[in-house]
Amino acid sequence: MLEVKGLSLHYGRHVALDKVSLKVGKAETVVILGANGAGKSSLLKSIAGLVHGDPGARISFNGVPIQTASPHHVLETGIALVPEGRGIFGDLTVAENLALGAYARRARDQREAGFELVFSLFPRLAERRRQFVNTMSGGEQQMVAIGRALMSRPELLMLDEPSLGLAPVVVGELFRSLDRIRQTGLSLLIVEQNVGMSLAIADRGYLAEAGRITGEGPAPELLNDPAVKRAFLGATA
Amino acid sequence: MLVTAVLSGLVLGGTYALLAMGLTLQYGIARIMNLAYGELIIVAAFLSYALFTYAGISPVWALLIALPGGFVLGYAIYGLLMAPLVRRARNAASLEIDSILTTFGLLFVIQGLLLVTFGANFTSYSYLNDAVQIFGTRLAANRLLALVLAVVLGAAIYLVLTRTLWGTALRAVAVAPGSAPLVGIDVERAARMAFALGGALAAAGGVVISMYQTFTATSGVVFTMKALIIVIMGGVGNILGALSAGLLLGLAETMVATYVDPGLTLATTYGLFLAVLLWRPTGLFGRAVR
Repeated sequence: MLEVKGLSLHYGRHVALDKVSLKVGKAETVVILGANGAGKSSLLKSIAGLVHGDPGARISFNGVPIQTASPHHVLETGIALVPEGRGIFGDLTVAENLALGAYARRARDQREAGFELVFSLFPRLAERRRQFVNTMSGGEQQMVAIGRALMSRPELLMLDEPSLGLAPVVVGELFRSLDRIRQTGLSLLIVEQNVGMSLAIADRGYLAEAGRITGEGPAPELLNDPAVKRAFLGATA
Repeated sequence: MLVTAVLSGLVLGGTYALLAMGLTLQYGIARIMNLAYGELIIVAAFLSYALFTYAGISPVWALLIALPGGFVLGYAIYGLLMAPLVRRARNAASLEIDSILTTFGLLFVIQGLLLVTFGANFTSYSYLNDAVQIFGTRLAANRLLALVLAVVLGAAIYLVLTRTLWGTALRAVAVAPGSAPLVGIDVERAARMAFALGGALAAAGGVVISMYQTFTATSGVVFTMKALIIVIMGGVGNILGALSAGLLLGLAETMVATYVDPGLTLATTYGLFLAVLLWRPTGLFGRAVR
């Protein structure tokens, strides 16, 4: 479904990504683990078309090459990104944010169905549809961000550090929502520092370090891998 | 006298609101500080004058030419002059400086063409200049029509921006340009549309102004300054803010001219502006969206 091959990215002389390759299958949930500065955000941004990697890379989605595509083109192929910091429109209402989620041509005539799906996943958003997003709590804003991404009817949903800055109770709620989204048949690609929670809902995981992929494996194996435990779980558990 | 002053204030304020809405679209969404904005207003005022004086065509028809004409002109100016600046700009600040310098030059080009064509004299024409009876006072029919046109156009643009997906997408670009691509909005296209829409409003405003005010080929800069003050008072990119601040300024200017001294109108404008900047530096209506 999603295939990334030999993706490198430079910001000036700083190497953000060094020949990264990865795959996400249909209805598969994949998590990328790594410390800050490991290039995880750059990877998601490159896939979304917000930045473009060095020539020679290949990114394809359902067989369609997208390594040079613009962000709205990538969205039309069925990939949606919930960026770090959420990227929602704070001065607009919940309903307006969600409606804009269905701005993509692939989703425009399915807007009502999209609203139904999002409101069934996040009933609280239905109650607050007229509220301005910047007056909501962090957890609610994250719901808006995820809901808005779902409105574009993606086949692959990418999330960059969705639990960042949220209270532990809210993080639990967030991952339960992601698990429900996963069960609807969507593919998920998640970048997370919360290793335990994300591996618990993932099928597979990659380890990223200094712009490179240094390891990969099935989620249950990674969860019990002493190296992973040392590197990540010690700090968070 | 109070009713007369309030009505005149609303006429002036309605026109200001219309002009400021156009500028707030250009500055807030397209992120272009267009110093030649007032020149577009004056071009439309002269167009209306020429059509009425030489061909006997009513300003209401001139409006139907000015609206699409202003749109096309705005679209062309953005595509030819602004888009290259946007593409090469390293950040928002450098785009602001480049666009100010470029439109400052454009101001003199358009002003020069107007001076060559129409001369430097005060210009006006007499259209619907009979007084009508309203709320127990008398008001020139052309002023009443100006108010109606400003209200209709202002309401139309407000509804388009708040009730349609296209308008919501434009506001989304004003609120968070970095996030707009995430939902598939083409930011450059949105900027071009907003700039063109601003041009249409400037042209409409010019026609409305010419119906009841005297103007010259060089009075564009006054309108640019007033529109800019209103935009900042209302919060950059804030449509409702531009509308309210425009009405407020029109009323304040007319009240001071009626009850204090007509010579103090400009002082009132800047006094109000200073007060807003000191009291609420991001505009009367919340954050300046930038």
